[in-house]
Amino acid sequence: MSIEITPLHTAFAGEVAGIDTTRNLTPAEVVAIEAGMDRCAVLVFRNQRLTDDQQLVFSQAFGELEFTNGTGISKPGEQRLHPAFADVSNLDTDNQILARDNRRRLYSLGNMLWHSDSSFKPVPAKYSILSGRVVATTGGETEFADMRAAHDALDDVTKVEIESLVCEHSLIYSREVMGFGDLTRAERATMRPVRQALVRTHPGSGRKSLYLGSHIGTIICWPIPEARAFIRDLTEHATQRRFVYAHRWRPFDLVMWDNRATMHRVRRYDSGQVRDMRRTTVAGTALTTQQPTEVRAAE
Amino acid sequence: MTVAIHPMHTGFVGEISGIDITRSLSRDDVAAIEAGMDRYAVLVFHGQKLTDQQQQAFSHYFGELEHTAGGNITKAQDRRLDPYMADVSNLDKDHKPLARDDRKRMFNLGNRLWHSDSSFRAVPAKYSLLSGRIVVDKGGNTEFADMRAAYDALDDATKSEIEDLVCEHSLLYSRGTLGFTELTEEERAQMQPVRQRLVRTHLVTRRKSLYLSSHIGTIVGWPMPEARAFIRDLVEHATQSQFTYSHKWRQWDLVMWDNRQLMHRVTRFDETQARDMRRTTVAGEGMTVAQAQAA
Repeated sequence: MSIEITPLHTAFAGEVAGIDTTRNLTPAEVVAIEAGMDRCAVLVFRNQRLTDDQQLVFSQAFGELEFTNGTGISKPGEQRLHPAFADVSNLDTDNQILARDNRRRLYSLGNMLWHSDSSFKPVPAKYSILSGRVVATTGGETEFADMRAAHDALDDVTKVEIESLVCEHSLIYSREVMGFGDLTRAERATMRPVRQALVRTHPGSGRKSLYLGSHIGTIICWPIPEARAFIRDLTEHATQRRFVYAHRWRPFDLVMWDNRATMHRVRRYDSGQVRDMRRTTVAGTALTTQQPTEVRAAE
Repeated sequence: MTVAIHPMHTGFVGEISGIDITRSLSRDDVAAIEAGMDRYAVLVFHGQKLTDQQQQAFSHYFGELEHTAGGNITKAQDRRLDPYMADVSNLDKDHKPLARDDRKRMFNLGNRLWHSDSSFRAVPAKYSLLSGRIVVDKGGNTEFADMRAAYDALDDATKSEIEDLVCEHSLLYSRGTLGFTELTEEERAQMQPVRQRLVRTHLVTRRKSLYLSSHIGTIVGWPMPEARAFIRDLVEHATQSQFTYSHKWRQWDLVMWDNRQLMHRVTRFDETQARDMRRTTVAGEGMTVAQAQAA
């Protein structure tokens, strides 16, 4: 069966029909999905009743997977899922809902800020693949913003100004903005800022995009407050509704997005309800800019 | 000539003609302006060549003036202007643009975030009056967002959820957001958080509005990250384009706004150019909520 992609938005995002992601993909299917990703940047597959193993197999068709070890604040043994999964649920290891003031819950509220997955790693993520096992009935949408269209819509003066700028990204910055400041020394040590180009070019489509995200703390060689004010302006521009697709989850939706071309965030939902979302992440293959020596030494 | 107010396209901004505010005002003029403020929340006066003294005299018709102490990090001996004039310029004492990394400039970049003037004071401001003495050609607009319309547009569930919430406001929070954290003990001491209701009711019109500001750091009784995420959502809602007006300055404009009904911010401009804007502030009449301790 061939695949068909129906647009979900004028600029990007498509719904895929004709693919069963629980089975092994053929090479032609992988090629078709990658081509769809290069064009749409977000693909939605409906009604995919995946096990964790099947999600791993599907994800590996697109590259090496990222492991969640060494990111965030969960310690080994405290994780509900296999280490190649990012647990985007509101559940503890016993599948119980996290208390309102639970540290992991408060930490994960950072996902309500616009971001690109793993932009805090020297080699940031390629695709994220999120499976909705138990979805919120009100709220909890995942919103995506098309960073290619946002770049295209900038005026020429701004395009020239930002072309060669480099930003520092760290989980420390996105968490500090939320007032989640009580990180341990060990946690901070794993969150050393990395550098990313502010404008990147997609290897598949050749299109330029804005590489923004709440993990940005400054622009290299800029005074921090000036950098932050400017990044906020760019983010406001890039997340205008005309660049945004809001995904309302149905159970067993599988949504796949290209972190090199989009930002995303989750919207507020009733945290007294179970929301079980499981993410696999396909690693990127290249730096966007050269790293400072202390980051290179740590790798 | 009598005061005339022409509504501008956004509905909450009025353009005033028929008045010279460098002179003494009649009681009727003052009443007409106050009524216009209640109705619109932003009034624009063009071609008002004010001195600082005239600006203070005009402002004083609407209440006591707020002293600038506690609102900035500039020390008294480094001030360019009288202590009842908030210096919103990018200039030093010698009227030269501040260096890119000047501490005062870094602090003032907080004005690029949506805020309501003096929401960090226990009794926050009523009106702000901003006079454009030297304006820039590109950027440097002052943008306003109508917090009454933003409140009205919320769904009922959100309205009841927020009705009695109380927020903590401080300059520490807005500056922390911008990564400006190098403050002295003395500066921190004068920036202790104060409490403000999230929904306030206008004394005259009885209209409710969202009392938001980048000075908010948390909601009393909430975990801080949850409060910040929620406040960001509300700010995003409240600053949608249908609730905003962007004022492009002409020299000698005087723009007057009601901080009890609006947020505002300045947009980016080339800071190697002089921009000389001077603000007087009319103090508010009371607290929006009881303080946790003497603030």
